[in-house]
Amino acid sequence: MAKLLFFATVVCAVSGILCQSCKNPQVTSKSFTTQDVTIVTNVAYIGEFDVKCASGAVNALYAEIEGNLVPVSVVEGNKYQVSWTEEAKLAKRGDRVVRVFDEEGFTAVRKAIRAGEDASSVSELFNVVINHPGAYSGPWLQGEIVATIVSLVIAYFAVVSRSKVVS
Amino acid sequence: MKNQVKQGFTKEEELLLQDFSRNVSTKSSALFYGNAFIVSAVPIWLFWRIHMMDIYSSLLLFVVVTSISTYLMALAYRNTKFSLKHKIAVKREEAVTKDVTKKLADDKKMSKKEKDERILWQKNEVADFEATTFSIFYNNALFLAIVIFVSFSILRTFSPTVNYTLSIGATSGLLALTSTGSQ
Repeated sequence: MAKLLFFATVVCAVSGILCQSCKNPQVTSKSFTTQDVTIVTNVAYIGEFDVKCASGAVNALYAEIEGNLVPVSVVEGNKYQVSWTEEAKLAKRGDRVVRVFDEEGFTAVRKAIRAGEDASSVSELFNVVINHPGAYSGPWLQGEIVATIVSLVIAYFAVVSRSKVVS
Repeated sequence: MKNQVKQGFTKEEELLLQDFSRNVSTKSSALFYGNAFIVSAVPIWLFWRIHMMDIYSSLLLFVVVTSISTYLMALAYRNTKFSLKHKIAVKREEAVTKDVTKKLADDKKMSKKEKDERILWQKNEVADFEATTFSIFYNNALFLAIVIFVSFSILRTFSPTVNYTLSIGATSGLLALTSTGSQ
């Protein structure tokens, strides 16, 4: 029992040194969103970012999307990715700010949510901006409707001129 | 007996008869069939490219439906022309008379009867041309409008083959039928 306790203390001490939280992170990000929803129902948002810390290291990262906390996946090295989908009708165009937290921030946000406090008061590690310029959902007026209207107008003209001749 | 009666017709009578005749000249008939074929074949493009019908496997259907539609459309052209020709002739009579009289004013040798015949002939020509072209325009406009409307709205949920057969067949049939009814 005493041995186990000692082992646990050592692990904690080592991990504390290794897992020193990231200070002054420099983030470069790029984003992708679905631009054409003519044949799909959902818009995908993908944010990909590199994190470079002035000191310390990044362990697990979490992102806050619409009040939900989701884990950020590691693509390779210090490259991370966060993604989600939204219904095409509900997807607003413009910038979407994704707040990214480390373990500490994640715990604080969880705590705040549990306590019913405002989660926005917890400061994030950094922000990632994902821009959605809006998606193309097909032409404003469909081709067959235009064709039908044009042909009906011509047919109307034909019928009117016939009735003029007959009268 | 019949021949004898026919021989008895004067030129003026023949022209008058032509005014009310249902017969069309070969040239006019060729024009009708040519136009009917084009307008009946045009929807093939719509069903091939938009409704995604396979052109090779549906070739027989296309040929059959286009042939039937060509015949019916030519019938519709002919009937519409017949029903309009006389009415157009009446409407254009005054203008044609004025025009021909002005042209023949210097010709002192021509008798009154001959001048009248010339007027009648000219009136017949004008009415024939106008009725022919208008009949083609009228039937084509209606045919294409109904085909587009029916194939895109009423028969939208049907398979392209049924959609094609029904929309083309029913439209040309309807036009042929209404053209005979409005005489």
